Amino acid sequence: MTDPSVAQEPRRLLENLAARGVSLELSTLDLCFVAALRLRSRTQQLTSFSEQELGDVFRDVCALAQPEAASVARRATAAIQRLRDQRLLSRVDGAGVVRSGAYALTRLATSIVDFYSEEEALTGESLTLLMRTLHASLLELLEQARGAASEREFSERVAGPLRVTVRDLVDGIERRQRGLDLQQERFQHEIGQLLRADWFDAVARCQELLEATTSTLRELNEVLLRDAHALVTLLEDIRELAEERRALEVEAACHRVSEQLDRIGAWGSARQQAWSEYYQYVHRYLRDVVRLDPTRALTERLRAQLSGRAGRSFSLIVATPPPLAVPRDVTAPSDRPAVERPRVERERPLTEAAPDDRERALVDGVHGALDGGARTLSAVTEAVVATLPPEERFASAGRVAEAVTKVASAESARERSWQRVDDGIWIEEWSLEREPKDA
Amino acid sequence: MTATKFLTLGDAVENDEFPAVDLALRRGRHVDRDDAAWFGFLTDAADVLEPFYRRFGAELVYRADGYYYLLPAGDRLAKRHLSVAEMLVGQALTLLYLEPGTVEQGGRVRREDVLAHLATVMGTDTLVRALNPKRRRYDERVAQETVRARVADAIRRLTALGFVEALGAEELKLRPALLRFAEPVRAAADAGAALSKLVASGELALTPLDAVPEGSEADFDDEPGTDEAAERDGEAAPDDETPSETPAPPGATSTAREPASPGGAPSAPVVQFDPSLFEDFGFEDVAQEPDESEAGEEPE
Repeated sequence: MTDPSVAQEPRRLLENLAARGVSLELSTLDLCFVAALRLRSRTQQLTSFSEQELGDVFRDVCALAQPEAASVARRATAAIQRLRDQRLLSRVDGAGVVRSGAYALTRLATSIVDFYSEEEALTGESLTLLMRTLHASLLELLEQARGAASEREFSERVAGPLRVTVRDLVDGIERRQRGLDLQQERFQHEIGQLLRADWFDAVARCQELLEATTSTLRELNEVLLRDAHALVTLLEDIRELAEERRALEVEAACHRVSEQLDRIGAWGSARQQAWSEYYQYVHRYLRDVVRLDPTRALTERLRAQLSGRAGRSFSLIVATPPPLAVPRDVTAPSDRPAVERPRVERERPLTEAAPDDRERALVDGVHGALDGGARTLSAVTEAVVATLPPEERFASAGRVAEAVTKVASAESARERSWQRVDDGIWIEEWSLEREPKDA
Repeated sequence: MTATKFLTLGDAVENDEFPAVDLALRRGRHVDRDDAAWFGFLTDAADVLEPFYRRFGAELVYRADGYYYLLPAGDRLAKRHLSVAEMLVGQALTLLYLEPGTVEQGGRVRREDVLAHLATVMGTDTLVRALNPKRRRYDERVAQETVRARVADAIRRLTALGFVEALGAEELKLRPALLRFAEPVRAAADAGAALSKLVASGELALTPLDAVPEGSEADFDDEPGTDEAAERDGEAAPDDETPSETPAPPGATSTAREPASPGGAPSAPVVQFDPSLFEDFGFEDVAQEPDESEAGEEPE
């Protein structure tokens, strides 16, 4: 049973953030400035800072983080404005222009600094303490719920503490869980570093780190297993009473806290499982690799082998499934013949043939016509082309004229007359005079 | 090993774990503590299973690093030797297993770390040539693509053999069986003698890999994957690692895959298909020329 308004909460939140264009941009200097303010407020029990104090803190931070920076006062003004724009610093005096302001860090700023500074990890001791406090709070709430006469009284007595006190306690456990996660990550990194640096000499220290985290996780899981069930039972009792009194707000709050407790329980078992695997792996590594190869010679020899600098190449033999037998006769496909063509001589053999000297025949024809008494170009052309096939006659007419000029002198009237020679052939007429043979 | 649970072979065979473990071992799987149920079963049943597998001409081997595997010695169980790519990737994974940096991640590495490590140790050029053995000259891009494909393929095969475990698409968990790749160099005294001893025991076979062709005269056409088919699952190309060219160690045979003939008798003229040939179907990273010699996939 989930309240639809609750289900839409993340969406609304995201829409709201997107619409407002919320963003955070903090340089290292800004972050140092905020951290310095947070630390000073703690050590000097300050609830707010005057403008002068803000400037002093910024100057100190600047001297530490960016000693070469110039115009520190102007930078301080800009930094204070940036923090105010991003709602990390707020003015709390309300005096306006009457006097210089007093400023305090917002919850957002303190949370950011706490993330970097505290890193409070969950321990068996802190978890036990938190669980007991949570148990006591829920018991008290149950009593309050039972004693509430009206619906309004029920909501006032139960809903507020459930929403604030109980959720803060559970949030505290979750925050410390994240701290422990970070701690584990650091340990894993440290184990790697130790082995890189000291190899065999790091074994004892690695085992110490492993054992410490293992015992912490074991202790946490024991506490969770022991107490989580009692807490969930108390929450269920409160939820049933809320249902009877129709206090929907309390019911929803119980549901959320119950979900958080489930998450904490799941976190515990998941982390223990993961760490257990890691623990086994590292122990195996320490035993099989580090102890058996204290000088890391194996790595060097294997590296030499892989790079081909040492030893002969070899191949491991492993079992493999037997081939599948196909119980029938199968004709293995024959090789597909390559595409080819019959080999033939590209050059055809030469054959003897009578020479076909048409040019010579044409010249002989011209001579014959002239010898026969022809004295005009049309007469010679007609006599020569008449012996040729019809399709060659037109093309040959020009060659006849050329041959004629070589064996006879040609004359023509100023106005040359056109003379028909054959079908489709008309030529300009020349009169010819046969030249002497010796010429 | 001391068996505490199974007094007879019948008890072991009747156990629910037996069929799966038996099949896995016969497929070359290495079983370690991460396979909690199988490992527990083998630990309890080792005394009765060792003589059982010996009757098949195989040895159920347990290594002090904490893993079991089946080592066929005779010809009754099929066996193969790992391909060039599998051996190179296996050794690179072993180096990563030995790295202190890997401990930080609980024995997890990214796939790209494997290739990067191989390239660092061997040198990119040698690696490319080792995984493109038939190629006298090659296009850099095509050859590197082939290397990536072969390394990915080798990782997949080593995963099936229990040397590594795939965690999602990018991560691998290294397993203790990888130390098998370091066996020949474990002994500080004489690596050659250790190698000979392992060859004699049938643990491994010598290969002509150390003659990685530097400008061999083999033909080459600049197409990716043209000779990949030859190396599928140890079925190496003639100039790659043809088993018939492998110096035959005692107990080793001349084929990468040795089909088991029932009773050792010569079998009828049947066509035998190697199921491992089917393993690549549809999972290639690079386009390949279709190869009729390797179609299909073994259902896993």
